[in-house]
Amino acid sequence: MSKFKLGVAALLSIGLITGCAAQGETTDSGDVSGDLSFYTSQPDVDAEQLVTAFNEKYPDVNVNVFRSGTEEVISKVMAEEQAGDVQADVLLVADSVTFESLKEQDMLLTYKSEEAKEIPENFVDPDGTYTGTKVMSTALVVNTDNVSEMPTSWKVLTDSDSSGSTIMPSPLYSGAAAYNLGVLTRNDDFGWDFYENLKNNDITVTEGNGAVLKAVASGEETYGMVVDFIVARAEAEGSPVKLVYPEEGVPVITEPIGIMKNTQNEAAAKAFVDFVLSEEGQKLAAEIGYTPIRKGVEAPEGLRTIKDMNVLEADIKELYQAREDDKKQFSELFGE
Amino acid sequence: MKANVSSSREIVPTKALSSLFTPKKLLTWTGIPIIFVIFLLPIYRLIALSFQKDGAFALTNYTTILQDPTTWSVIQNTLIIVVGSTAISVTLGVSFAWLVAYTDLRAKKLMQIFIILPFVIPSYISTLAWTQFFGASGLFQKVASLLPFSVPDINLYSLAGIIFVLGLSHYPLVYLLSVSVLRKIPRELEQATRVSGASRWTTFLKVTIPLALPGIASGGFLAFLANLDNFGIPAFLGIPANISVLSTYIYQQVVGFGPSAFANAATLSVILGVIALLGTLFQWLLLRKSKRIETTTEDKQPRYYLGKKKIWIEVMLWCFFLLTGVIPLVSMAMTSLLTAYGVDFTLENISLKNYQFILDTSPKAKQAFFNSVTLASLTTIIGIVVGTAFAYYRIRKPNPLNKWTEISIGLPYALPGTVMALSMIFAWMEPLPGWNPGIYGSIMILFIAYITRFLILQVRGSITAVMQVDISMEEAAQVSGSNGWAKWRKILIPLLLPGVLSGAFLVFLTALTELTVSSLLWSSNSETIGVVIFGYEQAGYSTYSTAFSSLIVGLIILGFFLLYVLESFWNRKVGKQS
Repeated sequence: MSKFKLGVAALLSIGLITGCAAQGETTDSGDVSGDLSFYTSQPDVDAEQLVTAFNEKYPDVNVNVFRSGTEEVISKVMAEEQAGDVQADVLLVADSVTFESLKEQDMLLTYKSEEAKEIPENFVDPDGTYTGTKVMSTALVVNTDNVSEMPTSWKVLTDSDSSGSTIMPSPLYSGAAAYNLGVLTRNDDFGWDFYENLKNNDITVTEGNGAVLKAVASGEETYGMVVDFIVARAEAEGSPVKLVYPEEGVPVITEPIGIMKNTQNEAAAKAFVDFVLSEEGQKLAAEIGYTPIRKGVEAPEGLRTIKDMNVLEADIKELYQAREDDKKQFSELFGE
Repeated sequence: MKANVSSSREIVPTKALSSLFTPKKLLTWTGIPIIFVIFLLPIYRLIALSFQKDGAFALTNYTTILQDPTTWSVIQNTLIIVVGSTAISVTLGVSFAWLVAYTDLRAKKLMQIFIILPFVIPSYISTLAWTQFFGASGLFQKVASLLPFSVPDINLYSLAGIIFVLGLSHYPLVYLLSVSVLRKIPRELEQATRVSGASRWTTFLKVTIPLALPGIASGGFLAFLANLDNFGIPAFLGIPANISVLSTYIYQQVVGFGPSAFANAATLSVILGVIALLGTLFQWLLLRKSKRIETTTEDKQPRYYLGKKKIWIEVMLWCFFLLTGVIPLVSMAMTSLLTAYGVDFTLENISLKNYQFILDTSPKAKQAFFNSVTLASLTTIIGIVVGTAFAYYRIRKPNPLNKWTEISIGLPYALPGTVMALSMIFAWMEPLPGWNPGIYGSIMILFIAYITRFLILQVRGSITAVMQVDISMEEAAQVSGSNGWAKWRKILIPLLLPGVLSGAFLVFLTALTELTVSSLLWSSNSETIGVVIFGYEQAGYSTYSTAFSSLIVGLIILGFFLLYVLESFWNRKVGKQS
């Protein structure tokens, strides 16, 4: 047999073997065991800790994690749907607007977890398709080398003194930023005027939250609009940044969790959701460095608990329906 | 090129192939279909999707998108950026290749490493370094303020800025594929031209360039595709300036995952594919004018003595390398040593804790390193065998079938990584309706994706190498009794090796640090280096990501040294034999 033929044969057999292995796995809906595919946008290390803790309780479940940005995770799920078979069992990504769109496409399973009763009502889908798991606000990040007096209001971003030294993530690339755009433009204190002023104040628009933090930490920019927990972490590490909750309030995303409708392992998926929402799971989230969502669990140092936050809200359904138009309007506004 | 190959000569290549792959038809009946499945299935799924609306065949996606003025401004930006940056890449690549191949510059081996660097450094690192360099408090401003005359501000967040950084990142592609070609051009030809009264410049234009065209066109084409696909640089520099190119615009469509998002993304990808085809056409037109070379050994002796100018040229070159290769690298290495991002680079803020985390604490990094090296090595080896066999077949026995195959092999390299990855999901989840072989979800999908995406690098490298070997060399071997395998072992492989290795080197490097495709296709335990670095970046751990990147770049430089030693050892051995 020629080398080429051998190579082809080897390739094919690898394909067949892996193919058989994947198909041979059976799922058991009776007890909690088997494979569970968990797609998430949480940082790697955090997802890993969550799975480790879950496995202490359910050692027979083999959790496979796929982690990427919310947009990539959803793209992957949608591509899988298009190809005919969603591989994810449990999904945990940035915001409820994203889940609303999946719910609209009838891709989510209804599951009313007992644990969800301890979670503030406005963060739980009344139909039970998804539940918030933590509280992530978008707040101000300030470079402490560039300024000594901390601002108290979002207005610092539109103040002429800070012209050219502010930065925010682009709603066209970041899901969290798209959420903020929807909420802030529907809020009387802000509206589209706020974004117009941001543009007039020469704000830099960048790809995502990570890039905002970087620009402010390096001193290239002085103020930024960014998701809170990464600032708290950088602050704890020693970066010259400070997190400020503006007095007008903050838009909040809740990293909801939900089960995909065609899950192969419903029992394990439900157990996983219960675990994330349980007191134990919530304490773990706080330990990792997030503001937990469950009543009675304290926030880690540097972050505020939900009851101490002034939350800016808008109707989720409306946000979901208007998202494309919001983005369009944004790109027109900043394109001029 | 067809005119060169008379009908009686066509027997020769067929024999050479059949000696490698018996029976002869096997290659055609298994190889070509496999290449077709691997390359055309994802592209077919993508095109099919672009012609669908609500589950039925329709042209609405195209009519809507082509009527949208935004699309046209995006296409215009893309064309300006790709043409501009490719021009920079070709100019720099050819100039350096000429200087290294023909002149008596010193420390060429070291130079070569610095020429490759911009291609090795992840683009998010180099863009960041460039913006810092030109930034308000950057080195450029500091130097500029010392000068007696005023220097205009340079704004990288612009079309020109994107062109500049892209062009600099991809000129090594042109360099690598041109340098060995230049060395093979017989000096006698150039001398003859000079003796006949032609100026240096005329000789360069009339002799050197036409003979070196296979390499220049191949490298230029790869740079063109790389500039077309690149996401990181236009995203970082283009978003603040509100400049969209096709790759970033497609990403926006994918992110806006509404019901029509994929169809839109697919449609835009097809438009991008058409631009890539135009590039192929241009390359083909160029190559028709290229000439075959009679001798084939690499001549590394200098042909032009720079004399008094030498020292100045050397100073200029090293300044350039310092700027383009060393400054980004140093800024990356400096960040990786910091205890926290943004603190000053002072003694008390320096530690190796990030490296300790990467090498010791985090099991992920090690796993990812192992995965990426395995994937990259396998892809490279398969690439060398399949890519070179195909290149040989393509040049020695050109026909419409393998011409189209070459185009299909090139397309996946031009498509944006996100789109490519998504079409891989469409194609491999159920390659045949109702049959899920489990390739998607295992590391196999990454392997297939890498081959799909990077084989063109090997094919171009090998084509350049094959085009350099005149068919008379093979005939000579045949006449002197070397047939089949012996001919390959004694003549072809030694002659092809430098060119083939340039291609293999590109495949390995690109596959090793690949990001976008892996980030969508990986699953637990199949993380790659790119995915892990990207993960740290997204979580805000820039010190970890720079530490990991620094380690990888360090290892690549080390590998490059080893390869160079190996190559010169090989050349010496071959040189002795002949």
